[in-house]
Amino acid sequence: MQRLKGIAVTGGAAVGRAVLLVHRGEAVRFPIPPDRAESEIARLAASRARSRTQLEHIKANISRGPGSELAPIFDAQLLLLDDPMLIGRAETLVRTELVNAEWAVQRAFDEVEQLFDSVKDPYLRERKGDVADVVGRIRMNLRHGARARDLLRHIDGPFVLIADELAPSVAAQIDWTRVRGFAMDAGSRTYHTAILARSLQIPAIVGLHDATRRVAAGALVAIDGADGSLTIDPGPELLRDLAQRHDGSTAAVTIEPRRGPVATRDGVRVRIEANVDLPDDLAVARREGAEGIGLFRSEVLVGSGPADELTENRQYEAYRRLVEGMAPHPVTIRTFDLDESRTSGRRPIGDDAWSEVERRRSPLGLRGIRLSLTRKDLFVRQVRAMLRASAHGSLRLLLPFVTTVEEVRVARGLIEEAEQTLNAEGVQTSHVAIGAMIEVPSAALAADLLAREVDFLAVGTNDLIQYTLAVDRTDERVSGLYHPLNPGVLRLLRAIRRAAAKEGRPVSVCGEMASDPAILAILIGLGLTEFSMTPRAIPAARQLVASVEASELRSLVRPLQSSGSLAAMEEYLNREVTRAEVKS
Amino acid sequence: MTSGAVTVTNALGMHARAAARFVHTAAAFQSQIRLSRGTHTVDGKSIMGVLLLAAARGTMLEITADGPDEIKAVAALVQLIESGLGE
Repeated sequence: MQRLKGIAVTGGAAVGRAVLLVHRGEAVRFPIPPDRAESEIARLAASRARSRTQLEHIKANISRGPGSELAPIFDAQLLLLDDPMLIGRAETLVRTELVNAEWAVQRAFDEVEQLFDSVKDPYLRERKGDVADVVGRIRMNLRHGARARDLLRHIDGPFVLIADELAPSVAAQIDWTRVRGFAMDAGSRTYHTAILARSLQIPAIVGLHDATRRVAAGALVAIDGADGSLTIDPGPELLRDLAQRHDGSTAAVTIEPRRGPVATRDGVRVRIEANVDLPDDLAVARREGAEGIGLFRSEVLVGSGPADELTENRQYEAYRRLVEGMAPHPVTIRTFDLDESRTSGRRPIGDDAWSEVERRRSPLGLRGIRLSLTRKDLFVRQVRAMLRASAHGSLRLLLPFVTTVEEVRVARGLIEEAEQTLNAEGVQTSHVAIGAMIEVPSAALAADLLAREVDFLAVGTNDLIQYTLAVDRTDERVSGLYHPLNPGVLRLLRAIRRAAAKEGRPVSVCGEMASDPAILAILIGLGLTEFSMTPRAIPAARQLVASVEASELRSLVRPLQSSGSLAAMEEYLNREVTRAEVKS
Repeated sequence: MTSGAVTVTNALGMHARAAARFVHTAAAFQSQIRLSRGTHTVDGKSIMGVLLLAAARGTMLEITADGPDEIKAVAALVQLIESGLGE
């Protein structure tokens, strides 16, 4: 029995066999039954065959043009595809350790990597890069046709998923109904995946640092959301204890869902909508009394394939279901917030240009509306799907990662054009409000300029805080500095609220920030009244709103923006908000 | 089992291109092929193994083959290295 400590994201407990998802979701590790070993090896053979074809193609292309001196590199890579130290070893691992092919290849590579690192010759050490290239290609081809979720489908479930990190795109492909609990090496309470775990309502722990290295695939693990611990090989006593506490806690935290509009005691109307990541969240959002969908991250529809493959019709169907499912409430759909690695137009498979794109990939790069405006075909396709869906209810369009007024103008032009084209084709559309996401400090400081160009503003607090504080919240070594109550953040939020009010535009807060009741109180104190949060957080938020006085919160928040001391601010809030909760 | 000794003669030693050529040739034979440098022995059909021997010019190598075409294999591989691995 071994115990690891992390940060609890959701309460509750879960026990199950561990399935590992590592290298940012690139390699899944799970146990296979003995009779599946040969089919895993057949998958590996198929992947090698595809890799061989690609490499031969590249080699032939290169030999013809300039750079023909590079052709021998691909000769060596082709030989690696048959190398007994890599492939032979991986096959042995599949048979003896009964793990999936992806993992066996990764393990064989890890072993070889150590050999290369121990060599003195710098030239030879560099050859490790060739091996890594080939391993990456084999892995990519193993996935060919089979998505991560298909892989997980083979596993006898339900299981506990343990990941080093989990991109929303990978998370969206997982069949979560088979996941009993979730644990992650990276992350803090506000990490995207934590949001997801909350919306899934499964026990989850983040910030475990090295759980994926310490837990063996197939091991029995217990997740305890009460104290943020993960136990490997839990003893019978702990299992009994968890089972009992789990039953007790579920009963205790249930809050009666309330319906209808909610207001503070002094009559300030507060609008609470839901962030929806998966189409299934819709039911939860309705049940918890959401007054609309404040944020649908449309890129979850893209999955693992390139965005180019997502047709207008498939998008239209998805948007229509959301709009109809939420009617008469509005649904805000954010256009793709992807980076260029997710579009096939710039994805020359098996080309060095691809690794160039990978290298330059950055959260400050070509993403969000920036990418949309360089790939107008994809943007217009998505806008058409949204406009068509608008006829079935109330749809609002949100532009992500806006930094300049010009971006909004160009996007609006494209939207208007698409609407005219559709109408000319005889397709009905309804009015679609257009909003700008404020998630970059410069956009926050110039929110008045952006507000004039749009119908509404939506503040993405996760990114806004990250960029304002210069903290990468996926880096657990500094994620403690990611603090929503930093005076700089609060002042920025106040500035956005004032700018929106000056221009007569509504503004909503749709980051993770709003789902923490204590922080929600501060936001209301700053004068904000529209929020979108994970559906699970809505009951507690409604309860908080109904139990406070906005005027009181306003006077409480004023000194916080200049106090500069987080400790004092938190103490102050804990006292006031707890008192407000007790009073109700 | 057949074996033969040979000294690496080409300027660059068993670097990528030379190692690839060696493995290509070795792979054409059915026999199991081992390549040794002192006490360090690797699979002669593994490009990584051959590379990791880090055999520079002047290194003494021993080639061992075991299988139906072992004599031909050793002869061909010794000759390949002696001829400078095509450099």
